Amino acid sequence: MTSNRILPVSRAMSEAIAEEMRADPSVFVMGEDIGTYGGIFGATGGLLDEFGEARVRDTPISETGFISAGVGAAMSGMRPIVELMFVDFFGVCMDAIYNLAAKNTYFSGGNYKVPMVIMTATGGGYSDAGQHSQTLHGTFAHLPGLKVVAPSNAYDAKGLMTAAIRDDNPVMFMFHKGLQGLAWMASPDAAATVVPEDAYEIPFGQASVLREGKDVTIVTLSMMVHKAMEAAEALAKDGVEAEVIDLRTIVPLDRETILNSVAKTGRLLVVDEDYRSFGLTGEIIAGVAEHDPTLFKAPPRRLAVPDVPIPYSRPLEQFIMPDAAAIAEAARASLG
Amino acid sequence: MPSNAQILWMYEIMEKARYYEDTMAAVYMEGKSPKFDIGAGTVPGEMHLAAGQEPCAAGVCVHLRPDDAVTATHRPHHVAIAKGVDLNKMTAEIFGKASGLAGGRGGHMHLLDPAVNFSCSGIIAQGAGPAAGAALAAKLRGTDAIAVSYLGDGAANQGGFHEAMNLAALWQLPVVFVIEDNGWGISVPKAKSTSVADNSVRAAAYGMPGVHIADNDTLALFDAAEEAVARARRGEGPTLIEVETYRYYGHFQGDPELYRPKGEVEALKAKDPIKRLRDKAIADGSMTEAEADAALARAKAEVDAAFAYAREAAYPAPEDALTAVFA
Amino acid sequence: MTDIVIPTGLWDAEVTPEGIVSNWFYADGTKVAKGDVVAEIMVEKSTFDIEAPADGVLSRSVAKDGVIRPGTVIGHVNAG
Repeated sequence: MTSNRILPVSRAMSEAIAEEMRADPSVFVMGEDIGTYGGIFGATGGLLDEFGEARVRDTPISETGFISAGVGAAMSGMRPIVELMFVDFFGVCMDAIYNLAAKNTYFSGGNYKVPMVIMTATGGGYSDAGQHSQTLHGTFAHLPGLKVVAPSNAYDAKGLMTAAIRDDNPVMFMFHKGLQGLAWMASPDAAATVVPEDAYEIPFGQASVLREGKDVTIVTLSMMVHKAMEAAEALAKDGVEAEVIDLRTIVPLDRETILNSVAKTGRLLVVDEDYRSFGLTGEIIAGVAEHDPTLFKAPPRRLAVPDVPIPYSRPLEQFIMPDAAAIAEAARASLG
Repeated sequence: MPSNAQILWMYEIMEKARYYEDTMAAVYMEGKSPKFDIGAGTVPGEMHLAAGQEPCAAGVCVHLRPDDAVTATHRPHHVAIAKGVDLNKMTAEIFGKASGLAGGRGGHMHLLDPAVNFSCSGIIAQGAGPAAGAALAAKLRGTDAIAVSYLGDGAANQGGFHEAMNLAALWQLPVVFVIEDNGWGISVPKAKSTSVADNSVRAAAYGMPGVHIADNDTLALFDAAEEAVARARRGEGPTLIEVETYRYYGHFQGDPELYRPKGEVEALKAKDPIKRLRDKAIADGSMTEAEADAALARAKAEVDAAFAYAREAAYPAPEDALTAVFA
Repeated sequence: MTDIVIPTGLWDAEVTPEGIVSNWFYADGTKVAKGDVVAEIMVEKSTFDIEAPADGVLSRSVAKDGVIRPGTVIGHVNAG
């Protein structure tokens, strides 16, 4: 069914969840302030009114408690969607995520499934400081047994959420706060898109080439997609055609699309809002280098948040966040 | 029972904290109207104000020394003020200026001042363990310094709280756990998050005394804290105190509080704890009206000066984002 | 042509006289049905959904981030 209705990411997420909850009674939602409040970042708006307290559960501030309960419920045949309010809070409950949810399928030789979605808010840029502004794509992608998705827009958010709920594996659904379209936090216009009313899935492991170009490949995800597209427009004015690839999912990673692009352009720039070292940007570059380092006509580059806690004060935070200007500059530099 | 000097001290601290929070509420909205953009304006980011919770800070910190450690929460201003954190540097930090406590790196939820042994953190209950640790350090060094861990009622359901309680009781650590029960964990009322009505009963599970202070009573808290602090200094171990207190503002500024029953805040304000203390102290002669007025004037002047200092202070150089990661 | 009007009584306008349009959910010139949520407004801290009052084609007159008050006409639904 065609639609001309535009949704912000937050409403695309809650619509995906509502449609799956209508279709499947085993789907339920738990988390802090996801009920009456509708989720601090709007991901569960309207769900309590439609489905009631038994299936839309406000929890105490007990992340280990309710996330490990989610694991147990999933292993007992339910499909829980659990919200970790800020990804930065993973510290208090990581065992349940990486030692239980991620490993029980393996520990049982595939006999147990853990069909749970852990949705969590990422990202900074609005002065929420070091414990509330992190992105941590690499942290979760690094640990075996978790699927990890990070949409950049509402259409992808709904399709990836639907796929995540239907997936029989634990999925980290990492949504950037600044893309949610919340009334009280600025978001890029392009994050809100036309979203079909009917349910649909976007398969994992399929990156999206948002913009074709022959000169340099920019691989990115989440909020940085929007900065990269802005950079690409600036580059085009100077006659540099950038190809922008939106990863959409980190695990599984669409390595083929990346390789095809670098084979075409010979120049790779990876942009990530996570910390620079020992993470996603290094992995993308290593993946291409291992496959065929002769693809690179110039040294590959990466832009990420430097290895410092995210600072509070606006000039400090702006300094460490990659932006469109920095992306364009890095892309130009790779052209020599 | 407090001395007259202690009553005056507590009154002035509470008025200072109240005026600070009310001033901050107005400053926070600069640049955020008519469109509320959380990242915009003079003070960006999240803001959690403690107006109504002043007794919890004053009634405990009146018994503390600079070498006693205090850990506090994401709603820290009143405790920082009561502990004696430099108000100019604290305000400059919240404004993100170079002369702030951390040069703008930490901001409102991460105010740390070794000069008075104060720190706070934005992760719920994660101050409980460090307070136990500071208490352990005092014990190992053979001093009678103690530690106080401030927590919200929501934190009483977080694992870190329970581990710290057990550890403190097991090792007889000189720490006082103070739960500021304002009845809400963001939008979730206590009855929907906590399996007991009164967290002070949880002290029994860990083998330490538990005290409940009803209705934001500064003087009752003074007495309970005096006993708990003395116990700790004598080496008799930890205490848990839960104070029923009031949250006048939302969880964070910008919180639409649609979950809050109509009239709740007005009803709380009608029994304002600072006014109650002032009226009682003047009535029974422990404080004169002139003393109270002078204290209020001093408090406001100090806060006004701190905000002026913060406004005029310079922002840090952007490259300062990369320094102070390691000692 | 039917006006899309910000209702009075949604919030206490004496306390907060103004808000903004925080989101539009349909592009200019698209078809909407009566009852579709076409926009979201924000008044200091709270958000409200605004519905299309009739079937037809949407035209937007107040852009995103534009200021609104009770009674502001933010757009129209044109029949046909």
